[in-house]
Amino acid sequence: MSRWLPRAYLTLVYLLLYVPIGILVLFSFNDSRSGYTWGGLSLRWYQSLFNNNAMVEAMWNSLWLALSAATVSTVIGALTALALHRYRFRGKKMLNGMLFVVMMSPEIVLAISLLALFLLVGIQLGYVSLLLAHVTFCLPFVVITVMARLSGFDERLPEAARDLGASDFTMTRTVLIPVIMPALLAGWLLGFTLSLDDVVVSTFVSGPSYEILPLRIYSMVRVGLKPEVNALGTLLLVFSLVMLMLSQWILSRSKR
Amino acid sequence: MKKLALASLLAVGLTGCSSEEPQVLNLYNWSEYMPQEVLTRFQEETGIEVVYTTYDSNEAMYAKLKLLDDSAAYDLAVPSTYYVSKMRQEGLLMPIDRSKIEGFDKLDPELVNLDIDPDNQYSIPYLWGTTGLAVDNADIEGEPVTAWEDLWQERFEGRVMLTNDMREVFHVGLRVLGYSGNSTNPEEIEAAYEKLSELMPSVRTFNSDAPRVPYLEGETDVGMIWNGEAVMAEETMPSLEYVYPDEGIIAWLDSFVIPKNAKNPEAAHKFISFVLQPEISALISEEIGYATPNLAARDMLPDEVADNRASYPTPEDMENAEFQVDIGDEALQVYAKYWEMLKSGS
Amino acid sequence: MRSLMQQPFRTAVLVLVWGWLLFLVLAPNLLVVGASVATRDPVSFISLPLNLDAYRQLFDPLYLEVFLHSLYMAAMTTLVCLLIGYPFAWALSRVPGRRQLLLIFLLIVPFWTNSLVRTYALKLLLATNGLLNSALLGLGWIDEPLKMLYTEGAVVIGLVYLLLPFMILPLYSVFDDLRQELLLASHDLGAGRVATFFHVIVPLTLPGVLAGVMLVLLPAMGLFFVPDILGGSRNLLVGNVIKNQFLDARNWPFGAAASIVLTITMAFLMFAHKLSKQRIGEDGV
Repeated sequence: MSRWLPRAYLTLVYLLLYVPIGILVLFSFNDSRSGYTWGGLSLRWYQSLFNNNAMVEAMWNSLWLALSAATVSTVIGALTALALHRYRFRGKKMLNGMLFVVMMSPEIVLAISLLALFLLVGIQLGYVSLLLAHVTFCLPFVVITVMARLSGFDERLPEAARDLGASDFTMTRTVLIPVIMPALLAGWLLGFTLSLDDVVVSTFVSGPSYEILPLRIYSMVRVGLKPEVNALGTLLLVFSLVMLMLSQWILSRSKR
Repeated sequence: MKKLALASLLAVGLTGCSSEEPQVLNLYNWSEYMPQEVLTRFQEETGIEVVYTTYDSNEAMYAKLKLLDDSAAYDLAVPSTYYVSKMRQEGLLMPIDRSKIEGFDKLDPELVNLDIDPDNQYSIPYLWGTTGLAVDNADIEGEPVTAWEDLWQERFEGRVMLTNDMREVFHVGLRVLGYSGNSTNPEEIEAAYEKLSELMPSVRTFNSDAPRVPYLEGETDVGMIWNGEAVMAEETMPSLEYVYPDEGIIAWLDSFVIPKNAKNPEAAHKFISFVLQPEISALISEEIGYATPNLAARDMLPDEVADNRASYPTPEDMENAEFQVDIGDEALQVYAKYWEMLKSGS
Repeated sequence: MRSLMQQPFRTAVLVLVWGWLLFLVLAPNLLVVGASVATRDPVSFISLPLNLDAYRQLFDPLYLEVFLHSLYMAAMTTLVCLLIGYPFAWALSRVPGRRQLLLIFLLIVPFWTNSLVRTYALKLLLATNGLLNSALLGLGWIDEPLKMLYTEGAVVIGLVYLLLPFMILPLYSVFDDLRQELLLASHDLGAGRVATFFHVIVPLTLPGVLAGVMLVLLPAMGLFFVPDILGGSRNLLVGNVIKNQFLDARNWPFGAAASIVLTITMAFLMFAHKLSKQRIGEDGV
């Protein structure tokens, strides 16, 4: 196959993905309050965003929560996938079933049942309850992604490793983890995305001590979607892109 | 030298402990429903820090406060109209000590002592508004639209917008048939459903996120809207008119309430008094775009805000106006069932 | 059988995994099952006595209709995601080294902007006097603005836009494993491009396809705000109905029962699909 066709296709899909984002960035500089018609260039929404302490704090809370939830769910999810793939134990079907139930449960059902559970066992609503809930709903996404990768994996490798005297842990660390790395990355990214975006579950399991961004954004639409939200989206986008470029730069320097 | 440093460190630590913890007021409110300036000034004046947490629907707020019950950590919430009566009747609220509230007498007599909370034992009005008709005069020719019933006219096919709110939509159906918008009679509700299903082919969308948007987008030309949204839309779309329908407008009122298990009711009372100051109420109304029930504050508003009929209706406009009340669980199930039938189009 | 002490790692993994799932999945779901057989109560949400009324209520043809419609839209979404995502993941996996990592991040970054906000941006694009129509009118390709917003199509576009990475990422992780030598070998053995695709590439990437289908199909039934914003609230998904039952109608037993039946039905559908696949596979061999 020629080289330009895949490239053109990739470019096209990226364009489609970024068009709505472009609109959002554009409208974040819109002077008009309605957020719908164009009223000239302005930075007023950025200004009012930075004056909104609660909003900025919620943003940091959200980022921290998403980072930790994605990481914990990747670790547990990968271990679950490895266990399902390699170990023989009773109740495998049940384990699979539970993951399926999480995926299928409507958010509101998950939200209320988790809140009821936290209240029953006396977990304070705040960062911990949010983390437990987020990791739980991210988990199946990681497990399924990692399982898909493992199912194409050559079974003789771990056996060879064990024959050479490697312990289970060593074998996992040196043979399996490198193999499932792309899936771990994919799973982590999915988890981070899901956590950053969740509203319904967070509404119920968060307390006043720890508010996160999506909650503010969702209820903000009641008084009309304010252009501050666009400004916020733009900042988040710029932040992610800068981090991305930075990591690329560091990587390329460390290689040299 | 080291010892001295240690001692001073200890001293700092000790004074840190002995001084009172900074007081906190946990406010549970709609997002962007209270200007940051008000919170900042309250903290400057009283030293109490306001922690502002948000919800996106009365239903979610109610369910959460109810489930949390004893471990509730909120000191102040802002339910809409009939949720006040519902929460009051279910014992979720703490009575408000009127002796600690300043400025109650400045509130509009029309908006206190309502059925939802006789004598305002549990709630203090915060902001209020109405749901009425929006008409895009640029796109609509012929007879002016003056009543809910006009929405059924053929010329509006595919151009009507309704709010995505079960109670409000049925309110319209019921009023057109001459019933109360708070009907609990299953036959009347069914009749309203029949009537509304005749309207469905005309309905292009339901929207309760930002009901002004479908008009601005040009998707719809006539239908329901909240008054605050209509005011916001006027800025960019002068042709959009807010009409008080003949059958009567739907009125609603958001009030401060103190949950039964509030940790800091003292601060909650202080905050309510703070907001009731005319200057603060005026600031809020101007910033948020909805009407303040505070008559003294209305006098301080700039003319273009105070004279806007959409925000501040005349007494004639409010003829036949109806506040929504709690309809009870039985009727709610009937509404919910017909609502789903209406929306799934069967 | 080796003793526990000899396999400390295995034991630790199993304890952690089981502990997490039993506490955070099984326990809350037992509560859901309990709620579904309780009686609706206006004051405390649910109360005794236990009964099956909620399940009986589900037999209403209205809910079957909503379910089928929801399934149809979710299936359309999954199909479109697969058609876009499969070649995309393939092309992505062939991009060399570090550039590949960069592209993956670029793929996911738009999804870190709140989905509600992005759905609104999409709305600006699809509206009657929105950007897409203006562009098409300007180019003279159409004479009258297309009515795209508040249609089933708009809902599917919205769902695809929100769920696409959930298809691409699992696919990417299997494509990444697909060794170029295999394709060359297939080619050397005389297989044409089409034959290589169907006999080598598709079977090898099938686990990724199935994972992607799961990750798109199941959430697509529940993203209630997409029909609200892009479908004019008229193309209800199962997620809308269940959310309404919990919050608006406050009928928790019914909401819980609907959720349980939904889970069982979808599990059954997937299981039946898997069985039929296996049978075909066995026959083929």
